[in-house]
Amino acid sequence: MTTVARDVGTRLRRLLAILTWLAQVGETPIEVAAARFGLEPDALVAELEMAACCGLPPYTPDQLMEIVVTDTTVSAHLGEMLARPRRLSAREGFALAASGRALLAVPGSDENGALSRALAKLDRALGGESMVIELDDPSMLGVVRRALETGNQLQIEYYSASSDEVSSRRIDPLRLFAGDGHWYVDAHCYKAGDERRFRVDRIQAAEILDDVASGPREAAEGAEYEPFVPGPDIRTVRLALDPSVAWVVESIPAVTPPEQTGDRIEVDVAVGGDAWLKRLLLRLGTAARVVGPPEAASLLGDAAGQILDRYRRSQPG
Amino acid sequence: MLLVLLDTPQPLSLREIANRIPGYPSGRDARRQAFERDKRLLRDEGVPLLVEPIGGEDQLGYRVDPSHYYLPDLGLDPEEQAALNLAVAGVHLGDPSGVDALSKLGATGESPLRPLVDTPLVDLPSVEALPALSGLFEAVRLSATATFEYRGAPRQVDPAGLRFRGGHWYLVAFDRDRAEGRTFRVDRITSTPSVGPAGSAQLPAGFDPESAFSAEPWRFGAGDVIAVDVLVDPVEAGRVVAELGAGAVTERRSSGAVVVRLSVTDMGALVTWVLGLLDHGEVLGPPEARAAVIDRLETLVGAGEGSGGAS
Repeated sequence: MTTVARDVGTRLRRLLAILTWLAQVGETPIEVAAARFGLEPDALVAELEMAACCGLPPYTPDQLMEIVVTDTTVSAHLGEMLARPRRLSAREGFALAASGRALLAVPGSDENGALSRALAKLDRALGGESMVIELDDPSMLGVVRRALETGNQLQIEYYSASSDEVSSRRIDPLRLFAGDGHWYVDAHCYKAGDERRFRVDRIQAAEILDDVASGPREAAEGAEYEPFVPGPDIRTVRLALDPSVAWVVESIPAVTPPEQTGDRIEVDVAVGGDAWLKRLLLRLGTAARVVGPPEAASLLGDAAGQILDRYRRSQPG
Repeated sequence: MLLVLLDTPQPLSLREIANRIPGYPSGRDARRQAFERDKRLLRDEGVPLLVEPIGGEDQLGYRVDPSHYYLPDLGLDPEEQAALNLAVAGVHLGDPSGVDALSKLGATGESPLRPLVDTPLVDLPSVEALPALSGLFEAVRLSATATFEYRGAPRQVDPAGLRFRGGHWYLVAFDRDRAEGRTFRVDRITSTPSVGPAGSAQLPAGFDPESAFSAEPWRFGAGDVIAVDVLVDPVEAGRVVAELGAGAVTERRSSGAVVVRLSVTDMGALVTWVLGLLDHGEVLGPPEARAAVIDRLETLVGAGEGSGGAS
């Protein structure tokens, strides 16, 4: 029922958008109109024909809408009632306010102030003043952006959370984006000889080199955001989770669907480095247990022991 | 149905509506069912459907108030419109609502929604995955109360604002039952919020959303505030300072390490956060906070030995 309703909603919304647009631009080639709304020409015609032959009250059909479909073109004339733009739904209002504010939170994104002015007008009409979007502002963000703009290579000192090591790397930045609350840069890494994703707040130092970025860059466009990109050194570890921490399954790179075994939930997790797994296990505490492999089962105890050593060494007198 | 309801100055009963729409089911139950579906559809689409009492046996009538249905003219100049287009193109919300909104604003033809290659993109959590979000936005916008289930308990709040930080959306609100300002993580709201009538929310005089807001998990507790000092090694210092803000730093050591001071009401959450630093972080004091970390670690050392390789 819900699915059906949503499909109908999507169609209604799309149909109203198409009609409003057609009424504004006048007679339009079918291909052009179809392309604008991401439809096959046949599908567009079918939608319009359906709209033309149903849903109209019997007493005022002519004033409300007239749809003309020829072999090659479509056009629509709407009564005054439909031609005026409709109020935004809560979701649309939210989307506009959130998008505008998110971009505004990117340093240097609104140098001429047009976005702020647009948002102020939106807020006056629709509300939204009380929405705040903050993106983190790591200290190396500026230098990474400059390198991306000039197309130069970067020399970075990078702390890898999965291996718990700092390494020096020369990279060609390809794409910078914020996701998951953090800034990331996708880059060709000469040390790895491949593309890698770096969290900008884990770059401890960065220097723009004179060399121009020249590595492969085909992945720069169209790459979809995913917080976790499996590297080459992935292994699978099976965890048994207490139901109280079942939520963690949503935020870890599970490689198989969770299985219920007794009163626990078992899941196979893709692990990129021991340090990452240690963090996860320390966080979950006794609510999680490593099922296997055996060498992973001792990680938690080892990690806890290592940190405990630090506390014992520094015992305040 | 929308056209019928927009066209009527008088509220129409369900029977009148069905009579004016060709093809509407004629059976009483089927008609009611179809109407409930359409009503929900219209409301989901943001169409303000008014329900008004009318005389006669039908009792309730429905209409759409045109002044609430149409978008007021925002008066955006081309530069401002272009900036909004760019924002919608560059910010991913996981659904097409932003593009739909732009087409309602009249962003036609010529300015395709193509992101600029050198503009950083921002991914916000998918709206699909956070169904509570648009309802809460509506509640804030209308100054309406919101009721929802949070961590297994019902809450009734007067919303003050929505806030995004560190990858999560939060609702800042006055919690009526607890009679104080609270922060709710939107992804932990487990029911669709029901939004009260416009204007029903009443924030206490002088309510400050800024001071009621906290995204830090160790501040979600109900206990007294304890100031905890944490030493962070150089490898994690930069990230931690960026996360907490420079105001949290009480000492910068020549090694690059920093000491940060945190206001803690939930010691368990603090311990979890500190352990995420592995051995790059250490609680310096007060003693009870140190003891809480050591206590957890000792449990885990034992647990690790107990489960190792068991088969």
